[in-house]
Parts: sequence; C-alpha cells; structure tokens
Amino acid sequence: MAHIVKHITVVPSYKDFVDIVLSKTQRKTPTIIHKHYKISRIRDFYMRKVKFAQQSFHDKLSLIITEFPIVANLHPFYGTLMNVLYNTDHYKLALGGINKARQLIDDCAKDYVKLLKYGDSLYRCKCLKRAALGRMVTIMKGQSKNLLYLEEIRQHINRLPTIDPNTRTLLITGFPNVGKSSFINKISRADVEVQPYAFTTKSLYVGHTDYKYLRWQVIDTPGILDHPLEERNSIEMQAVAALVHLRAVVLYILDLSEQCGHTLEEQLSLFRNMKPSFSNRPILIVINKIDIIKPEELPEDKMKVLEEFRAEGEPVLEMSTVTDDGVMAVKTEACERLLAFRVEQKFKTNKVAAVANRLHVAMPKKRDNKERPPCIPEKILKRKNAMEVDKPTRRLEKDIEQEMGDDYILDLRKTWLLANEEEKYDVLPEIWQGKNVADFIDPDILKKLEELEKEEEARENAHYYSESESEDDEETREMRKTARKIREKRLILTKESGEKRRVEKPRMPRPTKRSRSQAQLEGDMMEMGVDVPNDEHSHYTRAKSRSSSRPPIKRARDESVGGTSRSKSRTPRDKSGLRDSTMVSKVKKIAKKAQKPRNHQAKKGEGDRVILNMKPKHLFSGKRGAGKTDRR
Amino acid sequence: MAVRAQFEGNNEIGVFSKLTNNYCLVAIGGSENFYSVFEGELADTIPVVHASIAGCRIIGRMCVGNRHGLLVPNTTTDQELQHIRNALPDTVKIYRAEEKLSALGNVIACNDYVALVHPDLDRETEELLVDTLNVEVFRHTVASNVLVGSYTAFSNQGGMVPPKTSVEDLDELSSLLQVPLVAGTVNRGSDVLAAGLVVNDWMAVCGQDTTSTEVSVIESVFKLSDREPSQIQTQMRDSLVDTLS
Repeated sequence: MAHIVKHITVVPSYKDFVDIVLSKTQRKTPTIIHKHYKISRIRDFYMRKVKFAQQSFHDKLSLIITEFPIVANLHPFYGTLMNVLYNTDHYKLALGGINKARQLIDDCAKDYVKLLKYGDSLYRCKCLKRAALGRMVTIMKGQSKNLLYLEEIRQHINRLPTIDPNTRTLLITGFPNVGKSSFINKISRADVEVQPYAFTTKSLYVGHTDYKYLRWQVIDTPGILDHPLEERNSIEMQAVAALVHLRAVVLYILDLSEQCGHTLEEQLSLFRNMKPSFSNRPILIVINKIDIIKPEELPEDKMKVLEEFRAEGEPVLEMSTVTDDGVMAVKTEACERLLAFRVEQKFKTNKVAAVANRLHVAMPKKRDNKERPPCIPEKILKRKNAMEVDKPTRRLEKDIEQEMGDDYILDLRKTWLLANEEEKYDVLPEIWQGKNVADFIDPDILKKLEELEKEEEARENAHYYSESESEDDEETREMRKTARKIREKRLILTKESGEKRRVEKPRMPRPTKRSRSQAQLEGDMMEMGVDVPNDEHSHYTRAKSRSSSRPPIKRARDESVGGTSRSKSRTPRDKSGLRDSTMVSKVKKIAKKAQKPRNHQAKKGEGDRVILNMKPKHLFSGKRGAGKTDRR
Repeated sequence: MAVRAQFEGNNEIGVFSKLTNNYCLVAIGGSENFYSVFEGELADTIPVVHASIAGCRIIGRMCVGNRHGLLVPNTTTDQELQHIRNALPDTVKIYRAEEKLSALGNVIACNDYVALVHPDLDRETEELLVDTLNVEVFRHTVASNVLVGSYTAFSNQGGMVPPKTSVEDLDELSSLLQVPLVAGTVNRGSDVLAAGLVVNDWMAVCGQDTTSTEVSVIESVFKLSDREPSQIQTQMRDSLVDTLS
C-alpha cells in the first residue's frame, strides 16, 4: 500500500459516538419485558442488550483502526509527509488509544454478562445492564480527545494532493518568492496562488503536463530557507519530504534579480546544503526573472557567484515566467533528463527484456521482385503536398440529423453510384411474378441455366448416372444373395426366440356362450334314437305359475280427452343419462372396476376420506429426541 | 493521420466499420455521429457507405475486402448485397462466400496484395480470395492465435500484431506480408487490434480509449502524417520503455 486511501469514514465526536451506539442498541433490541416473565428470559433480554452495545462499539472502533493508514506500510514519501503534518507519535498514540478502548469495552461486556447470569430479578438485571452501558460510555469518554484528533487528520488527509510517488515527476524548489508557482502555472493546468510575498505556497501542489505522449506530474513545493533541518517549520518540511523521497527531476529555481530578498550567495549556499538530499536524481538549475536582469549584465562579484553555480556540474538554464522566455525549453530539458534517467534505471532491471518485442520494428526482407506500392488517391497526396490544413467543410450527415431532429430518416440510397442518377429512388420489387428478383440480377442467368440443363441431359443420355447402378453385375448379384440369406436367418432367429420365451402352462378354455335350442335338442335326441314328441308334456315352455298371489293386472289407461300432460316417473339415478340397458350394464361394470382399488383400502368410495385416528398416541407423547415429530 | 472515435459508447470501432483504400463501410447505428467521423475525413475521396450484413451491425467482423473487391458471408441478404453493389464503384468485385467460418473479418486479414488467413479456411474460399481480392494467400497464426483477422491490422504501408508476438514471429510475418510490422496495442492495452483500429494507406481510426503513446505508434508504423516506422525505435523508444515497464 503505497498510496493514502482517501475515503476514510467520518470519525464522530465522543458524544455523537455514544449517541449512535446507544440509540442503535435501543432500536435494534427488544424493548418489552415484564417482571412476571421467567427469570431466564429476563436475563437473556438484558444480556442481549449488553452484548449488542458491545458489538456496536467494537465494530465502529475497528472501522477506525482499519481505515486509517498505517505509517509503516506507506510509501516513505507519504510516511514522512504524515510525520511532518500530523506528528506520527501522536497519531500512533491516538490509534493505540482507540485500540485499547475497544479491548476494554470487550472485557467490560464480558464481565457484566457473567454477572447477569446470576441476576435474580428484573430490577437487578436492569441495574446491571445500566452499569455495563455506563462503563462502556465512560471508556469512550476517555477517548474523546483521540476521536477529535483523528477526525481532524481525516479531514486533512482528504484534502492532500494526489501525488503518485512512482510516476514521472518534475519537482520545483528554491527560496520563497523566486517564481516556483509561476512556473508550474505556466507549464501545467494547476492554478497555484502567486503573490509578491514569501510563503504564499504553504503546502504541496500538483499539476499535470504532457510531453512526448506521456503524462508528467509537476509538484510545486513551499519555499525553503537556508537553515539547519532542526529549525525548519512544517511548511518547509513538506518540501523537504518531497525532495528526499520522490524520484523526480529537481528544478532549483534561482532569482538573479535578488527581488526575493535573498542574495545570490545565500541561494548558492542553500543549493549546496540541499544537494546531498537530492542525490541520485537529475538536477536542473533554472535562472528565473531574466526579464529584469540578464546574467551578462551582472556586476563582477555576482558574476563570480554565478560561475560557482555553473561549476557545480549541473546544467544551468535561463527563463522568464513573465515573458515566457525559455519556459518551454526548461520543461523540455527537464523531461528529457528525467526520461533518460528513468530509462537507464529500467534497463538495469529485467523488466525491459519482457517488452523488447514491442520496441522492435520488423522490416520486411524482399522475397520477390513484385512491387507493392501504397495506393493513396491523388487528391489526398495533393492536399498533403499543398499542406492544406483546413479541408473544405462539408455538410455532414450528423449536422443534417441534428437539424431535422426526430424527423430524420436515414437515406441509404443517397450514396448510390448509378449510371443513371434518375433511377436512384426507383421502387425495386423484391419478388416479381413469383420469382426472386435478386436471382435474375445476372442478365444471362436463363441462358446459363439452359446450358446447365443441356449438359445434364447429355449426361443422362450417356448413362452417366445409371451406369453405376446396373443390376446384371456379378458383384451386385452376389451381394443380393447374401442379403437374402441374412434376412432369412434373421427371421428364423426371431421365431426361435419367440418360441423359447413362450409361457409353458396349460391354458384354460374360455367359457363359450351356451347355446341350446329346441331344434338342437330334438336333433341330438333323434340321432341317439329317442323320439321326442313336441307336445304339451315335453315342457319346453315354462308352465304358468299356479300361485294366485299375483298382483292385479293394471288397467290400461285411456287416452284422456283433454290432452293434458302426463306425468312420467323419474328415471333412477343410476340409469339417468344412459341410453339403454346395455349401456347401463356397461357403466355398472366400469364403476365396479373403478371401485376395486378402493375396496383394497376399505374405502366406501372416492368421497370416503375418513382418518380414523387424527392424533395417534405414539406420535404425540413421550420425550422428543433428535428426530422430527412425524418420523418416529 | 489517426482519428479517435466511438460507436455508441463502444471503443471496438473495427467491429462496426470496414475501411479500405477504395471504399469504407459503416454500420447503421442509432445516430449518425460515428458515420460522420468517417464521412468528414473520407467522403470527398472514397464512398462512405452505410451497410448491414445479415441484419447485423458487426459488419467489420463479417466481411473482408480491399481495393479490388469485397467478400461477404453467405448470410448476407439479397437486398443488402444489392445496396452494397449499388453504392460501391464498379471496379470493386463483390462476392458471397460459402464459408463455414462465416465471420470472414475474424478469419482473414488482408491488404491490397497479401492476405493472412485462418488455417482451417476452405480451399474454395481461398480461391475466391485470390480471384476477388487479387491477393497472395498465406495460412498462418499470429501469436499462436488462429483468428488472424481479429488480432492483426495491416495496410500496404505497415502493420500491427498483438503484443505477445515474439521478435522471430514478427520478422517472419513481416517478410511474408512485405510490410513493416510492430507489436502493439490499442484502446489502452487491448490486443484485439482489428477490433480497435481500422486503417488504410492514408488514415486510421482507432477507439476513443487509445492513449497518445498508442496513437503515435500507430501513426509511425502505418506511415501516416510523415512518420517512419523506424521512429518507434529511435524517438519513441524512451517513452515506450517508460510506459510499458
């Protein structure tokens, strides 16, 4: 984790913190309890409250501890910057205090839960809960200063500039008021305040600029004074942190006119003092404000100091942020130097080998004498040679669309290149007389088809297709013979297997319908030589019953004269809707069959859903073990 | 000259357009913004045509073409073919290819002289390629990828292949195609080059996400705006080393 995470959750003050947790406990735990409840229930009720409050405190405190950056894990630049701005010791103590509070709250909750287990009345349990929450609040109260401090830091971290310590960086430094901020304003989009007094810039500022297709980070630092490190204030220390830890090109800005209030000698001595801290980095000495005084116009003694600067072995450039003279040259030189430095560093590692193929341009070796020139239209070439920058503007489809708004309909035919322009918007049928028009685009298609058909016919005539299927071929006959044999064999096999699988059991004859007739009987008897007379003694017909207890013969009703309606007895329910007796018997049979499975279950019919024992004793009594109620 | 563009918020503009030295096909979209990018740059020199293939907008992946001709898959409807036929100059031969690998743009990469094709392409399609596009055909893979059409982009002046291609492969392919080649990316590191980039001999259009380093590599290797491919090794070397590693 090299960067500072900037979205840290707000740290509430002690009062808010306690309010949040207590009201949350109140909201999210049950609230109704009565003293006649079972004591175990009362104890659970209060234990839950204590535990919930403890958990809420714990979670909120853990969030603070995890979200704030750990200084040891940060990039050294950020580590130093945090030390300068917030004093790492204090910061660590604050986080340590929060951690301790979290532990104390956990212990406290544990103790009170233990005590609650022995609470013997509602009142006593309630008192214990009050005591537990009270102690947690007291612990938090001890952290109120830490919370305030951490909130301040959080707000400050949110406002820190986003500096990537590893990217290409230009670092601007020098005495206060030498024109550092004017320079960053000139080369980037940063908008740093420029004022004619010292220490206008009190913190680091970041701007971005482009050079050679790359994005460059420009950092403006507060001015530094020439005194020992111990005496530097926190504003200067920010600049020092950046100077020491960022792998950047350092631009040391020099004020030749001495309008900043520091002599050239002082500026030289500062440079010499600071130089060890930015060793191993490209350095540029930039002479600013040449619009006021040029190096050539300097008096003798100053000239000597300048010569000493040049003798330092670093390139010296001149610029004026007022007239823009040399500003771009300084930027270019700085970027070039840093890029060369970074590339050199990278070539020392093995990272570059991995991208070697991307730096390689494969040039073709000639494999034949064929020319393969590019084909660029004349118009483009002419325009290129004439250096014609602005092309004749054209009404684009986009403009037309914008003008017409919702009424715009894309006109596909607009770009058609036809021999006859008038035909452009003609209606084109897709199907014409049952034929797809597209199939007849070729004007000779019919002729071609005819030719193809002729060719086919010729083939047909020449037995091109039939020849291969001639029957009187020796091979074919042989094959057929074999096929027939195979078929016969297969038939035999199926029959045999059918025989084998048949059930070998005597079959009962079906009871045939007995049909006896008078003629048959007489015939049989005659055959056996018995004469059967057909008279009243032979009893072929059933004799009339002699019983006198017969119901009286009903008198047939006469046709009523008036033609009134006659009542009809209602058909019995089991026969209603049925055509005749055969249908009735058929239906009865079906009903009987349908009843069969129910009979097995001793049910009366489909309506019979009686459950004889709703609560069998064995399922509803006794101790319950691990099983379910209905599986035992 | 290289231009950045987007098709309805999508950076894969090579999917929705086909650019050659003789014509340019652009998908029919919801608005004309994408079409007008091509129209503004090209319409006074070559026809810029709205087209769809088999009812799809992914025309760049479906068809393959160069200055001499255009091959469309057999799913192209008669009306679409008619429209393209009417809109393109008569010197351009247009054929429907009966090819199993119907996304022709994905399996074939070509300029006006050579074509690189998927190793499993039909023999008949290969013959059709030779007849229609007047190209020499090579069956080859690029960085062990069979979809040569998606992963390479080349014109008559230069070409780009995916960043995983080794130096030996680069040299071999370059001799085959007879153009300078470089391994690179478009759209902030995408290796599907033909999807993020359409190019002809004098201009290139790439996805909106393409970084300035990528654009400068494209401009150099395709010799757009007075640059030479060798500049990648000289002037741009440092920037490339610094961004890539």
